[in-house]
Amino acid sequence: MNSLQVQPVARKITGIRWLPPRAGNAYTDTDLYFVSGSSAKHKELVLWTTANPDFQQTSDDNDNVDAETSSPLATLVAKVKHDGDVHDIAAPASDIVATASSFGTISIYNIGHTDSGDSSLSLREAVTAHKFANGEPAVATSLSVQPTNSADAEIASCGEDGRIAYAPISRLDALQRHEVDSTVITGVCWPMPTQLAIATRAGQVKLFDRRAPAEVQAVFVDPSNTYEFECIAAHPSQSFRLATGTDTGAVLLWDIRNPKKPTMEAFNVHESNVWSVGFHSSDAAKIVSCSEDASLAVTQWVSDSDRQSRGVRHLSGFFNTLSVNCFDVCPFTRTSIIIAGSDSGNLLMEKTAASDFAIY
Amino acid sequence: MARLGTDKFVVEREKEVATRLSPGVFPAGRQSEWSAQNRTLTHSVHPLTNSVALGVAGKQPRELLKTDVRVYEQDQRVYVCGLGTMPDERLPFVNDTHAVFAAIQSIMDARGDHVGVDALLRMSALYREAMLRQVRVLQDAQDSEFVRSENDVFQAMHAVWHLLEIVYVTTNAGLSASVVPYYMEWLNFNFPAPAAADGERILGSSPDANALAQNSDVWPYVQKLALRGHVTTVANMLERIAPAQALSAAASRWARELAQTARDMPLGSSDETSGSFNGRWRRWNSGLQSMATNMGSMLDKAEDAALSALLCVVDVMRGDADTISRVGETWQDVLGAVLLYSEPTAQTERLPALAQLVLEQFEADDFTLVDRTLAALVRHELPEFLVYCNQIDAWLSAHVSDLMEHIGILDSCRRVFKVEPREHYLVALGERYLTHEGLWRVAMDYFGLCRTRVSQSIMGEYIVRMPLESDRKAQQVLRVCERYKLTEASERVHRQLGRQKWQRGRLGAAIAHFVRVNDSSAVGQICDQLWAEYLASGLLTYGPIIDSVLASSGHDRVRFLTQYRDFHECYKAGEFARAGKLLLSILVGEIAPIHAVPDLLVDSIPLLEGDALVFGADDTLELMRCAESVVFVGGEEGGVERDELSIFSVACARNLARSYVMQ
Repeated sequence: MNSLQVQPVARKITGIRWLPPRAGNAYTDTDLYFVSGSSAKHKELVLWTTANPDFQQTSDDNDNVDAETSSPLATLVAKVKHDGDVHDIAAPASDIVATASSFGTISIYNIGHTDSGDSSLSLREAVTAHKFANGEPAVATSLSVQPTNSADAEIASCGEDGRIAYAPISRLDALQRHEVDSTVITGVCWPMPTQLAIATRAGQVKLFDRRAPAEVQAVFVDPSNTYEFECIAAHPSQSFRLATGTDTGAVLLWDIRNPKKPTMEAFNVHESNVWSVGFHSSDAAKIVSCSEDASLAVTQWVSDSDRQSRGVRHLSGFFNTLSVNCFDVCPFTRTSIIIAGSDSGNLLMEKTAASDFAIY
Repeated sequence: MARLGTDKFVVEREKEVATRLSPGVFPAGRQSEWSAQNRTLTHSVHPLTNSVALGVAGKQPRELLKTDVRVYEQDQRVYVCGLGTMPDERLPFVNDTHAVFAAIQSIMDARGDHVGVDALLRMSALYREAMLRQVRVLQDAQDSEFVRSENDVFQAMHAVWHLLEIVYVTTNAGLSASVVPYYMEWLNFNFPAPAAADGERILGSSPDANALAQNSDVWPYVQKLALRGHVTTVANMLERIAPAQALSAAASRWARELAQTARDMPLGSSDETSGSFNGRWRRWNSGLQSMATNMGSMLDKAEDAALSALLCVVDVMRGDADTISRVGETWQDVLGAVLLYSEPTAQTERLPALAQLVLEQFEADDFTLVDRTLAALVRHELPEFLVYCNQIDAWLSAHVSDLMEHIGILDSCRRVFKVEPREHYLVALGERYLTHEGLWRVAMDYFGLCRTRVSQSIMGEYIVRMPLESDRKAQQVLRVCERYKLTEASERVHRQLGRQKWQRGRLGAAIAHFVRVNDSSAVGQICDQLWAEYLASGLLTYGPIIDSVLASSGHDRVRFLTQYRDFHECYKAGEFARAGKLLLSILVGEIAPIHAVPDLLVDSIPLLEGDALVFGADDTLELMRCAESVVFVGGEEGGVERDELSIFSVACARNLARSYVMQ
């Protein structure tokens, strides 16, 4: 097991997301920003900054460093109270963050940077997207931003009330909701700008066309196993590849080119619920997942004839014994940085130098 | 075996905690007035955390009072008080030590009876590092009473833990390991003396040897250095003082000689045999003895302040008990010097006897709680030690009893305590952690890793009272039940989830939960609700709900609803033959509830009357039989309407005739 660097922050972290670099500073950002959301006793959104490892001169980022590092991994820059537990965070732009809360609301926060170097987080607007039939608020379990470059990108959320909701980020009040499942929907993603995919606790993956979201376009189930899905992610470029995480610790990779006969491959990389899954941003041949068993796993699912064969690498920290709830891989740096948050009140980080790029 | 004289034994007393309600319920000092107006406080204790909800209530119901009482704003407040909650500042410490605790349990499991002392030592060091980290964090924090008291607690815990480690773990490693160097290290780390600031002050104010020699603070300082075994510093100081003009020639000479002797103090090394070390040490000690005699005889002839101070230092270093007791301020000091200078190879077994001698010289009433704890530890009085640990902090007693259990010394406490000590303290710590929302999982681990029947049942009770705010939390709770094999609790949680989802209208999910626990009556009720909704609206919308219920459920009602839905779809698609077969199989299989059979029979009428022959002769006879049994059973309610029954009978007769003809 490789070890993660651990920073205790006295908050249960349940959502974490890298922020895109600030406009105009894309290639010279010496500092990276990310937002974390916490639950339980202190429900907050916190803005952190950490040094960009691509610009570091020293070569001490060996992962055999003692967990007791003298310098913190990330420094707190700003924080704001959040209404309800944070279940998911999305960062559509460098100055906006969207969160899904336990009261079923989607909230948009503005991030402001002043010239003197101060930063702030403030709530811009919030809309209730999920409610049960008897009026009780339903937890919004996941958020996803439409992968389009248009200014009017939409954000989709799914909740425990079996509904998906989506709205343009700039006009949240134009929210539309559709009931699509009778159990809890645990994850939502956009394989294409016109297609939504959800994963449910009944072990089904359902596809929807954005233009007609009330109708299910396709349903995928593995009949030989009674899985319960906890999360779903779409391949960044191949829209027919989806990854889902299950409650028993398997990561499933789906190929849905043939909707009548989807193929699926299972990687049993964890021992307990896989809370979040995603394709690595710089190397989509790897799937990263985090789990209740307090570890992160990086699974190589494509066997490259020259270099690495399929395999899995586990990351954990000695002082982190409780569930790793969420993670994010930084898509803006050459060095791969993964940050994660756990129930032990820790921020976890792993940096690996980028492997040499093949020049073509 | 400790003597159980009642005067000696300690009674465990819970610390009283009091909170003042603010804003208050009644104006200060007017309690009797308030009480006379039919008011009192009522309360309710939270099932999990140590919090209490309080409100004003009437002693008698308002309706029964002769004159009405005015209701004030204060009467309508509900106060929620947390008592003895876990402060946030401790969270990193709690989480780190939880990791170490879990690691120790798994190490002990893996090794079995081989008590891996190295591993325990490493873990014990990790605990101490966590305490020291917390002390550092507290020192950086803003000063306040809370921070100061926390600082005291953690420094006390570190001192106690460190000594425990030395006495029972470190010296276990080697058979002939002496406890003395470890004791001195412990003493100088946890109770540092003399203060470095004093030394700097003395040196700073005395620019040359003369001034130094005449500085009134310098000799007590050197004596304290000697007491603590800082022999190199003693030598340095003496060499600086020696050239002073103010000193007599004899004092100067003796100072230089003493400095040299101090530098020559033998230190044990791991290669050396104890015999050779003892030899060297005895020679060194006898050198000091002769020095003392010579200096003493000089002092008999003439008064010399510096010389008598030097003699004091020599006396300390040669192990003279009286001088040591005079110079030492605390019993830890005195014990250290006694060990270092009269029994440098003493082993742990010598500690109780030596400690007893030292402790008798001090007033026990002046002891602080930490002193008492350390004294009990050094005298190997473990039950007392544990009780004092608990008074310092709940964390300490829980982890100390756990460590003692793994080393194998907890048995002496078991004979004295009425309850199992490790379980008692671990459960108490777990309950303390439960008061903090974010620590419930840590608390469950403490209950679970305690591994006794009592802790299992306590855990079972707490876990079913966990608030299930979200689906993810529910999953985590179920994982805990699985991990610690709490099957009954797991079932109760599923039932809770089923009811929760039922209330919220998520019927499919509710059925799935009740199917998990084989609660067929609940499943039946939900299915009946679905059926009633269908009848009310006329639209069969429950299809997706039923689909998502995992097919493995063999429940009758679920199968009924599934087959009925299939029947409906065949009918809509125009596949009448198939539809008819499905309908018949529902009726024949008797999976439909009694109250639904009439509706099914009514559904069969269009099929009976249809153009194509759907039901053969036997099938039609089956239908008629079903109708009869229903009418027979039905009576007033649940029976088929008169008209419909007659239509049905006619349709059956016609179909029967048709079937005979066609066959």
